[in-house]
Formats: sequence, structure tokens, C-alpha cells
Amino acid sequence: MFRVGVEAMKIKLKIIGPLIYETGFSEKELELEKPITAGQLLSRIRIQENRPKIMTRNGKAISPKEELEDGDRIAICPLYSGG
Amino acid sequence: MPMNGWTGHLLRINLTTGSVKKESFTEEFAKSWIGGRGFALKILWDELKPGIDPLGPDNKLVVALGPIAGIPAPNTGKTVVAAKSPLTGGYGDGNLGTRVTVELRKAGYDGLIIEGQARSPVYLNIVDDRVEILPADEIWGKGTYDTNEWLYKKYGKGVGVLNIGQGGENKVLYAVVRSLEGRAGGRPGIGAVMGSKNLKAIVVKGSKSIPMADPPGMKALGAGDLRKVQEIDKKTGWSVQGTTGVLSWCNEVAALPVRNMRKTSHPEAWKIDGERLNNARIATYGCPNCTMRCGIAIHDHEGRESELDYENVGMLGSNLEIFDLPQVASLNYLCDDYGVDTISAGGVLGFYADAIDRGAIEGDFRFGDAERAKELLRMTAYREGVGNFLADGTMRMAQKIGGDAMDYAIQVKGLECSAYNCKFIPGMALAFATSPIGAHHKESWVIMFEITQTSRESYGPEKAQKVIELQRIRGGLFEFIVACRFPWIELGWDLQHYADYFNTITGMRWTLDDLFKVGDRIYALMKLFWLREYPDWNRTKDYPPKVWFDPSNADNEGPIAGQVLEWDKYEKLLDSFYEIRGWDKRGIPTKKTALGLGLAEEAAEVEKYGKLE
Repeated sequence: MFRVGVEAMKIKLKIIGPLIYETGFSEKELELEKPITAGQLLSRIRIQENRPKIMTRNGKAISPKEELEDGDRIAICPLYSGG
Repeated sequence: MPMNGWTGHLLRINLTTGSVKKESFTEEFAKSWIGGRGFALKILWDELKPGIDPLGPDNKLVVALGPIAGIPAPNTGKTVVAAKSPLTGGYGDGNLGTRVTVELRKAGYDGLIIEGQARSPVYLNIVDDRVEILPADEIWGKGTYDTNEWLYKKYGKGVGVLNIGQGGENKVLYAVVRSLEGRAGGRPGIGAVMGSKNLKAIVVKGSKSIPMADPPGMKALGAGDLRKVQEIDKKTGWSVQGTTGVLSWCNEVAALPVRNMRKTSHPEAWKIDGERLNNARIATYGCPNCTMRCGIAIHDHEGRESELDYENVGMLGSNLEIFDLPQVASLNYLCDDYGVDTISAGGVLGFYADAIDRGAIEGDFRFGDAERAKELLRMTAYREGVGNFLADGTMRMAQKIGGDAMDYAIQVKGLECSAYNCKFIPGMALAFATSPIGAHHKESWVIMFEITQTSRESYGPEKAQKVIELQRIRGGLFEFIVACRFPWIELGWDLQHYADYFNTITGMRWTLDDLFKVGDRIYALMKLFWLREYPDWNRTKDYPPKVWFDPSNADNEGPIAGQVLEWDKYEKLLDSFYEIRGWDKRGIPTKKTALGLGLAEEAAEVEKYGKLE
């Protein structure tokens, strides 16, 4: 449920690699109240805080301070370094 | 004279004459080149004449280990195999996990130098000081799985085995060396060199101890660290998906190889991702001395067990637009059994389908056709029909096709690119282009740093600096000390541990910077090797595939829509790379750089063929 007068938005969330075993899902659509930053989104998902991870928005890197927008596709990935 | 950390011996086997000689090396050689890639490169530099036929008796196959190889410590089960590459014409090598690493060290050797050419197929059986050259009639013609099993049956499962399949026997230019106790190595055709010598397999068993400055200290340090690495892996869950987790990330950020790298993502990529692979898992494999095993095996389309990692899935799956995991596993199984490189095989088949699609040649192979791909792999391994064309790799295929085919041949220096589509990733494109053995991801995987910590559009010197930093570690330290880089790169295991292992086993007091200098020496000599082979060397050899600069090849949608690499900016990035390395505008170390790295003799030698600035 969203509060009256608060703008809502939908984002698609993609979880990558072993992080899916912490969140319990690998892809999901979320309805969120605006405003919300990438960092705030992270804190709502069950991923160990001290685990190194990176986020992208629509395929581009995003910092925790950036605000999310309606329709964003957010991916959260552990740090890989390549086989 | 024995040196702690090294056995101090190399075993030289001449297959033409049948002679076997145990040779000592000097302390200066050991300290200058440390082992693995360093030993192999220096031996090949000293002993090969430029211009020799890589598939003739004058080439030499070097198997090289390092001071921490084979000892009980994190991920020390790797062996380097090297030769002059038949695929690229330059120095070529690769590493693979194998019990040979442990057994060869225990047999009293830090490496093998295999010369000449046997008159008929043979294999080697090395048991400490006893070396037998035996007929291989019963295994010649077999795939690597049957060959390995035949040898296990004869010698027991405790031996280490390196072997080749039909790909190596028939000199497919990207044939690899295989080991069932690990995986495969030697992408630039080292398996073809082994085949050209009529050498089917190497079996090793040792019973000696490895000389160490502080055996109890090394034992306690190594065993403790193996447990710690295992604990970190369990905590992070890295090996649940292993390297294949990266496929989804590449798909998100427009870096996935799709359709001969024409595209950078695909809506069906999830069908072959790490989650699906883990769900299908039937077994897990790792190399000797590994506590973070990354080999995920599943049933392939025919019900066989096939072990996959990201590179296989990327190149034999998405690059061919095959999004059926068991079918990808079948292609992977065939590559492994025939002993051909999975990355290059995916690159070759992708290029073949692309050339047909563009109307450059006639053929019946289309993207997405797994069954035809299987048949083409078989024909390649046996050099039958069109397989003879495919067996020579994309660069030679493009030369034969002519026209603009070389533009979309996804290779550098003749070696097919690994599974990262860099049409708009300048730093990773530079990493592929400056990899000293051709386009290989093992030298400098800068892509995640580049996309997440820099501006993707940037061609600034920070990217060249990072490529070099990673080359020093990945293509340097881990290749000459000889250990798997995964504890460091995937679990954050500090690099200082490797200096600690080195010092504990050798009794020396080297810093990481001391070790990195050896890496720079090796990189410089690899470039001198190229110059000696190709005196007219120029910087175009350090260019990534042309199609990555072609605006008509830009993505129509997604994060890099409308964007491709830009030539003038890439040239500046390449200049930055050369400048930081102390190389000239051709990409060759200057005389000052060579001398500063202790390469005075090598500089004088190379100047007989090409000039140093």
C-alpha cells in the first residue's frame, strides 16, 4: 500500500550470482515510493552489508546516492574479476 | 646445487633421438625468471631460431612449474605449457590445473623441454629418474577422456596426466593440452605442437620431497590458508555458480558475446546463466590443491558429463545464439574430448556463421544450429571437408575469404577473443589487444573495474595504467610463480600471501614489487620474441577487431546504443599504454627499458633482426 500523496514507481530488480541465495530471488518487479536512492534500495534487500557488490541502472554503473526513477532496471552483482 | 623452492632440474627429452637428459639450472636463471611462463619464455627465446615452423621438429614444447607450484597452499595445482604458437606465430602458452604439477615437482623437476619429433606416436612415462618413451598405438586416435582413462587403468589414478585429443593429433591450430584432473590449457595451439611431435600423452609420478627453506613453516602456512580460502568461499558462495555468474552481468551491461559479437546482450541469456547451470549440476570438479572448486558439471544433450565455466558458455552458447544449456554442454564436451579450445572453437564457428550470413561465403551453418555445430566440431578435429578450413582459426579463415572478412574476425594476433564483447569497452579492448599471446582474458580482466569505477566513455591513461597493473599480477605473478588467480580475484585473498609463500619456501625476502619486476621483464621479452619473429612489427598488431570501431555495428538499443570504439581515442590510449610500459610507438620495449629490466643480452640478440629505439 502506498501513502496518499506519495508518488509511486515500478522498477525491475535483477540479482546476479550467489547473491540470489541471500535474496531468495533472481528477478522481480518492485513497487516503491519515491524518492528512493540506490543505497536505500540495497538496505531493503537481504544482502550482507559488508559484501562487496556493484549496482547498475539500465546497464550503467550507479552510485548508492543516486535516486531511482520509474521504469529503471537495477542489477546487483557481486564483484567478479574474470576467469 | 639445490635451491630451496626449486628442484633445480629440468628434464630434456628429444623425441627424434630418444635421448633423455636431466639438466641443472643456475640460481641466476631461477631468480630472473622464477618459473612457469618465465622459464618457458626464456628457454624458448634461448633455444628457438626465429622463423622455425611451429609444427616442425625444431619447435619445443615446454612444461614449466614454479616455486610454489604443487605445494599444499591455495590453488597451486597449475602447470604452464608453452611453445612457439602455430596459431599466432609468436610466443604462446597457457596454464591448466593438473596433478602433473604435484607429481612432476615430486619427481624432481621444475619443467620439461620436449624436442624433436617421434617417428610414430608415443607417450612419456616419467617416474622420478626413470623416463620411458613408449608406443602410443593403442591410444592414438582416441579422445582425451578415453586416453586419460586408458592411462589411469595402466598406471593407477594417482598419476598426473597431460594429453591431447584428435584435435592435437590433426594439428588444429587451436588445439589444447588436456588433463582430467583439471581442465585444458594452451589456447594458442600448444596441443597442436604436442601432436606435431607425435606425443600423445605425458604421465608423471614422483616420490621425492620438494626442497624448502622452512618445511614446517610452509606446511602450517599452506594448510591454514587452504582452510581460510575454503571458509571465505563458503561464506560468499562464490563457487555455487563459479565463473558463470558473470554471464548475467555481461548481459546487463552490454558486454556479452552474441552472434559473433555483433550484439552485446540477448533476452534468452538467462537460459544459460549461472543459476540454471547450478540447478543442473551433477558434479563439481577442482584442480589439485583447490578449496574453491569452479568446475560445474551437468548432463549434456546426449547424457554425458560435461564441465562448464563462463568462457565455454559465452563462446559456445550466446556467441552462437544457442540458448539450450545441455546443447552448449554437448559442444563443450566435444571440444574437451577432441582437445580443442572452447573459446576459439566458439569464435571460429561464430565467424563462420557470420561470414555465411553476410554472404561472404557459401555454407549451411546458421546461428542457433547446435546439431550442425557438433558435426562441424567433429570435422574440425579430423580436418575433414570444411573442417580443414575451420581448423586454421579465424585469422587464416578471414585471409582466405578476403574482402572485409578480417574486419569482423574477432581475434588479435591470430588468437580468438575470449567471451567479452568490447565494441564499447575501450580498456578491455586494450587488454585484449595488448595481451602478449593474442586476445586472452587471462592477462588483464579490466572490464568490471572499467564499467563500475570509471566512465565507460573514457580513454584516459588511468585505464592503460589499470590494464598494466592487472597484467603484472595476472599475466606476471600468477603465471611465473604458477598458481591459480581465483583466491585473489574472486575472494579477495591478499596478494601479499603469495609473496609470503614464495619467501617461506625459498628463504628469500622479496617484496611484491620485486616479483612484479619479473613480470615486467617477462612482458618485455615476450614483445622482443614477436619482434625477432616479425622484424617489421608495428602497432597495428595491438589493435582490437576492426568491427568494434564500425558505427554500423553499434547496438540499436540498450546502455551503449549508437556507441562504438573510436580510432583516434584508441590510438591515444595505446600511446598511454606504451609510454607507461616504456615501449616505443611500435609497441616494442625501448633499449633503455630492456636494459633496465636486465635484458641486455636479449636486446643485443634481437637487434640482429629488428632495431630497438
